[in-house]
Amino acid sequence: MLGVDRSRRRRDPKPEFGLAAGIAVVLAATAILLPFRSDISRASPALILVIPVVLAAVFGGRMAAIATAVVGAMAFSIAFIPPVGSLRVAVSEDAVALVVFIAVAIATGTLVASEADRRRAAEQRAEEIEAMHGRYQALVEEQERLREETARLAVLEQVDKQRAALLRSVSHDLRTPLASIRAVATDLRDGAAYARPIQEELLELVCDEAERLDRIVANLLSLSRIETGALQPDRQAVALEELLNELVTRLRRLFVHITLDVQVPAALPLLDIDYVQIDQVLTNVLENAARHAPPGSTIRVSAASSEGSVTVAIVDQGPGLNGDEIEHIFEPFRTGKGSTSTGVGLAICKAIVEAHGGMISATNTPDGGAEFRFTLPVRRG
Amino acid sequence: VDSDGDLVLVIEDERSMARIMAASLQARGYEVMVARTGQDGLDRSAAENPAVVILDLGLPDIDGIEVCRRIRQWSRAPIIVVTADGAEDRKILALDEGADDYVTKPFSMPELLARLRVAVRHRQAFGPFVDDDLIEVGDLVVDTADHQVTVAGARVELTPKEFEFLALLARHQGKVLTHRTILHHVWGPEAVNRTEYLRTYANQLRKKLQDDSSSPRLITEPGVGYRLVARE
Repeated sequence: MLGVDRSRRRRDPKPEFGLAAGIAVVLAATAILLPFRSDISRASPALILVIPVVLAAVFGGRMAAIATAVVGAMAFSIAFIPPVGSLRVAVSEDAVALVVFIAVAIATGTLVASEADRRRAAEQRAEEIEAMHGRYQALVEEQERLREETARLAVLEQVDKQRAALLRSVSHDLRTPLASIRAVATDLRDGAAYARPIQEELLELVCDEAERLDRIVANLLSLSRIETGALQPDRQAVALEELLNELVTRLRRLFVHITLDVQVPAALPLLDIDYVQIDQVLTNVLENAARHAPPGSTIRVSAASSEGSVTVAIVDQGPGLNGDEIEHIFEPFRTGKGSTSTGVGLAICKAIVEAHGGMISATNTPDGGAEFRFTLPVRRG
Repeated sequence: VDSDGDLVLVIEDERSMARIMAASLQARGYEVMVARTGQDGLDRSAAENPAVVILDLGLPDIDGIEVCRRIRQWSRAPIIVVTADGAEDRKILALDEGADDYVTKPFSMPELLARLRVAVRHRQAFGPFVDDDLIEVGDLVVDTADHQVTVAGARVELTPKEFEFLALLARHQGKVLTHRTILHHVWGPEAVNRTEYLRTYANQLRKKLQDDSSSPRLITEPGVGYRLVARE
């Protein structure tokens, strides 16, 4: 702002300076022309004396130009119009010349002064526009900064919300198997008398629920690794068939009322994967399928290899996914209506599969069930 | 054996929890029916007329509070709600919608069984449907016509508010009445937040009824309300 003020002051017309310069040039021109007075016509000094008027107009403005014109007329009259040395004019023709000189000088001075004014005004406007542009630029930058700030706050808020959702769902999910375990334990401690098969069934249930707790905790650990960016697959050569056999045995209690049909071709190449992580992917996808599959239905697991990767597909005969679910199913805390899961299992699957350089997708089969499909890298050499 | 075949409807979507409750209740002589959704629960409670309903508030299809409200439209069967998250406001809402009692997951099975016994024992006297002049809660008798109370035949002198408090609990014996419900009925709608009244009056009543602290008639449900049961 200070800079703008200073430059404006510099360009303002300075009448004193203009007048002084005008008079000085009038005197100088007169002094220079005086020795040649007898050799030149009267028109020459008149024309030359217009120059200081123009200078006064440029630097001092209109009033300085008029004053210089008057001084110039006086110098013209005294020095060049007989009788020389006085303001008096002897010949009427000379009086006309003097009047014409004054009129031309004033007109020229006024024109030049107003032109100079216009130029100054234009420059000033240009400068103001530039200053305004600068301020506008600053505002735009400020706005941009605020926008970024807002975006960052929104991200933080989102993270906060996700943490709250995680805590909510985790405390609910940990409590559900705990509730079953506690109910059975307190019941037996209380001396409940059960027939042997029922007692065995209840104890079996406690084991299942303890395993469920273990799976939830495993998912939580993976989630924290994903959050800290520490999800590095520890790759080794793995035969998918062996992994699946092991997994099916471990999860068999999830498939008491459901048939699990595993079809892996014998010639499938070895995979280059982190055993524990891919085990978790298959566990989560199968647990998800078991949760939605109606009793008596079949869940099919198949695998096929194609140029450097193996695609694993898990198809259930459950109700399938609706459009919104398909879009967001791999986002954390997205659970289907009435779902009893944490909503982190499938998000973890996606993170692990992608850490292996693969892809995971969910679609509906033509008969309405859900199909999960993911690719895994094949061991080279 | 707690029961000789009272029918208990368990509305619980968690497969394992439903199985455990069913096994435990059957071992105690109850007859058990399990519904895995709110809709199934509503259908069965209408069709089978259970003696008691155990209702998990976190159901996949219908909100448990709504299930509670709808069952109350046709049934006086005691409803024991099970809350998974321990959220106070959910169980209080359920109690205000007609539930009689609650347990919070993870609960102990003996606790659920004890609440079930209380519910069955007081079943006949449940609800706002009982309006006899003489209300008996074990050896405690409340005469609402003469505003008199006796314990084992001995007269107990109560102030009018103490009497109203006790009579309200007696009329709904076995059922948990929320702070709000009690304050609204005894002190009026403008006093529904004055829970400090209740503490004072409950203490006075226990003294006058010579309640035994190990098996009290007037039971405090912390943070929720009060209920009156027959001395065991």
